[in-house]
Amino acid sequence: MKHASKAVRYTLIIMICLMCLIPFYILLVLALNSPQRIFYEGNIFLPDFDWQNFVLAWNKSKIGTAMLNSALITFGTLALTIVTGGLAGYAIARRNTRYNKFVFGLLLSCMMIPGIINTVPLYTLMQRIHAVNTLWGMILVCSTLALPSAVFIYSTFIRALPKELDEAAALDGCTGFSTFWRIIFPAIKPATASFVILNGFGIWNNYAQAVFFLQSRSKQNIPQALSIFFQQFGGGDWHLMASTAFIAIVPVVVIFLIFQKQFIKGLTDGALKG
Amino acid sequence: MQKKRIDYSQFLSLPALILFSVFFVYPLLKGVGMSLTNWDGMGKASFVGFKNFIDFFADERAISDIRTTLIFAVGSAVLLNLVGLGYAVLMNSSFRGKSLARVIIYLPAIISPLIMGYIWYFLLQPGRGFLYHAFQQLGLPDLIGNWMSSYPSALAVLVLVNVWQFAGMTMIIYLAGLQSISGDVLEAALIDGATPWQRFYRVTLPLLMPAIRINVVTNIIGSLSVFDVIMSLTEGGPGYATESLSIYIMRMCYGSRTGYSTAVAMILFLIILVPVLISMRLTKSKA
Repeated sequence: MKHASKAVRYTLIIMICLMCLIPFYILLVLALNSPQRIFYEGNIFLPDFDWQNFVLAWNKSKIGTAMLNSALITFGTLALTIVTGGLAGYAIARRNTRYNKFVFGLLLSCMMIPGIINTVPLYTLMQRIHAVNTLWGMILVCSTLALPSAVFIYSTFIRALPKELDEAAALDGCTGFSTFWRIIFPAIKPATASFVILNGFGIWNNYAQAVFFLQSRSKQNIPQALSIFFQQFGGGDWHLMASTAFIAIVPVVVIFLIFQKQFIKGLTDGALKG
Repeated sequence: MQKKRIDYSQFLSLPALILFSVFFVYPLLKGVGMSLTNWDGMGKASFVGFKNFIDFFADERAISDIRTTLIFAVGSAVLLNLVGLGYAVLMNSSFRGKSLARVIIYLPAIISPLIMGYIWYFLLQPGRGFLYHAFQQLGLPDLIGNWMSSYPSALAVLVLVNVWQFAGMTMIIYLAGLQSISGDVLEAALIDGATPWQRFYRVTLPLLMPAIRINVVTNIIGSLSVFDVIMSLTEGGPGYATESLSIYIMRMCYGSRTGYSTAVAMILFLIILVPVLISMRLTKSKA
């Protein structure tokens, strides 16, 4: 009886895992099929191993530029939100004045509002300050969307730190800012990890804002590059579309696999605190 | 008289406040104003009162978009939680390869929903899709139909793809919730003679409430603004049948109906406010 239930459990888990992996395998098959390949012939689960597709896709789709842009946007956004959000979280946790209560209340009440709600009026503002089709503009947009989450995570983690840390720093002559930067910030690395994990992939994958703010081909991020390539150049060339999509997911998959342990831990830490 | 010194370090939150006010709060308030105008994005705007809102509810496409958005959100939230909880119960024991399985099941969730939509498009496209030919080779040609070209089935596919992609995320939260339940409680129930189902229903489930609340609320709110996966998998088609409100906002904005599109955004905002307020209420009553 015990054996049987164990076998059932294993079988189910293996089936779920296969269900999660098969679409990726099929994407790889499609990416490696030659342009002449028609599905009816031969074993469709076995690709033609036409590696040339990846070279062609890379050159035609400009996905390399898009990857660099996505990386710069993600890095810039995370840096800006960690600094501003960390400082705000510190002020909120340690200087609970009326002003800081207001800041926290404002950010918290906007935490659940998705970006699409204010994207159109934001677009007119961005046009006026010449921030459309710039990476710094996109960094500002993504930062405001991630900021409430950063402030929430940082203030929660900092509240849990003993106040003696601050007092000792003050005795040593630290000001508010240097206390945060030298003492508090290094002590809450798990908060930073949690924030990066909860928000990093979302910024990297952003499409709903990119569609408005990154229209020029030299500035587009990965999703925007893919969607434009598929609409304008892909057409019937499924082998090129598939190989571009495959290239596009490689960086996130690699990063996820490298950091998977910290990832799962940070995800549960951050989510259950929220 | 001694002057009270102001503690300047309380203003360390100022950079965040400025950033957020300029790029979030200001556009949000401006959107309220814009939603009452007929602005086309270029010329002069004139005040039209609630005309945009009246137009919205008179527009069949808009009403269908509301329906699509709500069905997608509620369907996704229900299925994501059932599937995620099922996965978590299945995974909540120690076995060899557990962390590998967890990584595999979570993997789809880190990938852009836009790209996921494209991948499923390759699989399901009528006539040409991979699964169509795979089932034909396996001798099961009737198993996959022309799902993408009719309304209820195209929407069902979108919900299922969304569930397939994010079930791992709900699973991780439920796993953490399950692991926080102490073995003593379950053992006590066992000693009292509770059946496995009673133990799950009467002990585990109530103790899992915080995780359930987090998952349901985030899934509903996230799905109400769905954009990416629909853009790549159906482009809102057939016709406008699977268009969501977010996509409608973008298309109206590009269609030079800027004022109208901000009115639609306000309506979506009000819709999203409902689960937000309910969740805040629930959190408060707990505390």
